[in-house]
Amino acid sequence: MMEKLLLALLIFILPLTALGVESRRGFIETHEAQPESAEAVTPPILEEMESDGTDDESAPFMDDDDLSFLDEDDEFIEVYDPFETFNRGVFWFNDKAYIYVMKPVAKGWRWLAPEPLRLGIRNFFSNLRAPIRFVNAALQGKFHDAGNELTRFGVNSTLGIGGLFDTAKGNFGIERKTEDTGQTMAHYGIGPGPYLVLPFLGPSNVRDGIGLLGDIYFSLVPVLFENRYYWMAVSGDIINFLSIDKDTYEGIVKDSLDPYLFLRNAYGQYRRNLILH
Amino acid sequence: MLKKIFLTLITGFTLAFTAMSLAASSPTDEVRISVDAVLAILDNEQLNYEDKRTQISVIVQERFDFRAMSQRTLATNWSKTTDEEKEKFVGLFSQLIENSYVSKIESYTNERVDYPGEKVSGRKAVVETLIITSSADIPVDYRLYQKGDQWLVYDVIIEGVSLISNYRSSYQEIMKKEGFDGLLAKMRAKIDELAITPS
Repeated sequence: MMEKLLLALLIFILPLTALGVESRRGFIETHEAQPESAEAVTPPILEEMESDGTDDESAPFMDDDDLSFLDEDDEFIEVYDPFETFNRGVFWFNDKAYIYVMKPVAKGWRWLAPEPLRLGIRNFFSNLRAPIRFVNAALQGKFHDAGNELTRFGVNSTLGIGGLFDTAKGNFGIERKTEDTGQTMAHYGIGPGPYLVLPFLGPSNVRDGIGLLGDIYFSLVPVLFENRYYWMAVSGDIINFLSIDKDTYEGIVKDSLDPYLFLRNAYGQYRRNLILH
Repeated sequence: MLKKIFLTLITGFTLAFTAMSLAASSPTDEVRISVDAVLAILDNEQLNYEDKRTQISVIVQERFDFRAMSQRTLATNWSKTTDEEKEKFVGLFSQLIENSYVSKIESYTNERVDYPGEKVSGRKAVVETLIITSSADIPVDYRLYQKGDQWLVYDVIIEGVSLISNYRSSYQEIMKKEGFDGLLAKMRAKIDELAITPS
C-alpha cells in the first residue's frame, strides 16, 4: 500500500517538477526581455532550483536582480568636499583658462613641434622629477621601486641623453612608477582631508596639496631653472604635456552629466589606487 | 548512404567542437574577441563614422551587461525604483556608457592592445588590457561575470578609475539634489547633446 502511494506520488511529482523547470526557463526568458517581472518571479525560482538540484553550478538562469556578489570586494569612495561652492568656482576658472588659454597654446605647440620632440621634452621633465619618486618610494619602504627609479635616473640621464629618451623603459623594460609626497603621507596614515581644486593644476586635496610642496623640494626642476625661469619651465612642461594628451578633459566634459563630479570621484579613485600600489 | 553517415559525423563533430570551444573560452578570450572586433571596425577605412558607431554598438551590446551596470550604479536606489523607471534608466544609461566607452576607445586607433593577465575567482573575473600608444600605455581592466556560458562586462576600469563607481557617485549626488526624474532628464539632455555633436 505504502509502496503504491509512493509510486503514485513519484509518477505525479516528477512530471510536475519537470514542467516546473520548463516554465521557469520560460519565465527567465520573458523576464530578460521584460525586466519588470523580475522581482515577482525570482524567489520561487531560486528555491526550487535548490530543491530539485538537477542544475549544474553555473546555472544560466540566475536572477539578474541578485547581482550583489558583484559588489562584494568593492569599496565605493565618497570624496569629502565641504568647500564645494569654492571648488566649483576654481573649477569654472580652470575650465576657462584651459579652453581659452592653455589648450590653444598647446594646440599651437602640437602643430609646430613634431611628436618625438614633444615626447622628448616630456621625458626630460619627468627625469628631473625622478628624485621625487626615488625619495618617496624609499620613505614608504618600497626599496625595489626606489632602486628602479635610481637606475632609471642613471640610465636615462646618460644613455637617454639628459633624460630626453626613456631608455630605461624602452631598452631595459624598467617602468616608471608614480610615487609622490602625498602618497608617502597617506602611507603613514594621513587622510586626504577636504577635496580641493587648485588653480591651473585641478583636482587635489589638502594632503596632496601639501605634498606638492614636498615634491617641489625634491624635484630637480627648480635646481636647473631658477627664479623666473622656473615658472617658464613649469608652464612649458604643462603646455607640452597638454599637446601630447588626447583631449582627455574635453572627453570628460562631453561625456559626463556633471564634469565636476566626474573629476572629483575620478581623482579620489586614482589616488587611492596609487596609494595602494 | 556513406555520404549521409559522413555528413552526420562531420556535423556532429563540428557541433561538438563548437560547444567545447564555447565552454572552454576564458574571460580573456572573450574580451579579446570583442576588442579585436572593435579595433578592426575602427581601422576600417571604408566605413564612415556612422557605420562604425553602429557596428561597434552591436559588439558592445553583446559584451556589456547594461542592466547589471545600471543596477550597480543606482545601488540602493535600484530597489526603490519602479520597473518602468528601471527600464527607462537602463535604456538611457546604456546609450551613455556605450558612447563614453567608444569615444575613449576611438581616440586610440591604430594602437596595439596587450593582455598582461586575468584573475578569475568563481563567477567573477578581471581581464587586464594595456593600450600601447606612442605617447603612453593606458591600463584598461574589464570586470566580468559569468552568465550562463558567457562572460559579460559589468565594469571598465581605466587607469585605476572604475567607470561604474564614478557614475554611481555622480548619479547619487544628482539624485540627492534633483530626484530620480531630474537625473533622467539630465541623461536625456546629454544624449540629445551627444547626438548633435559627434566627434
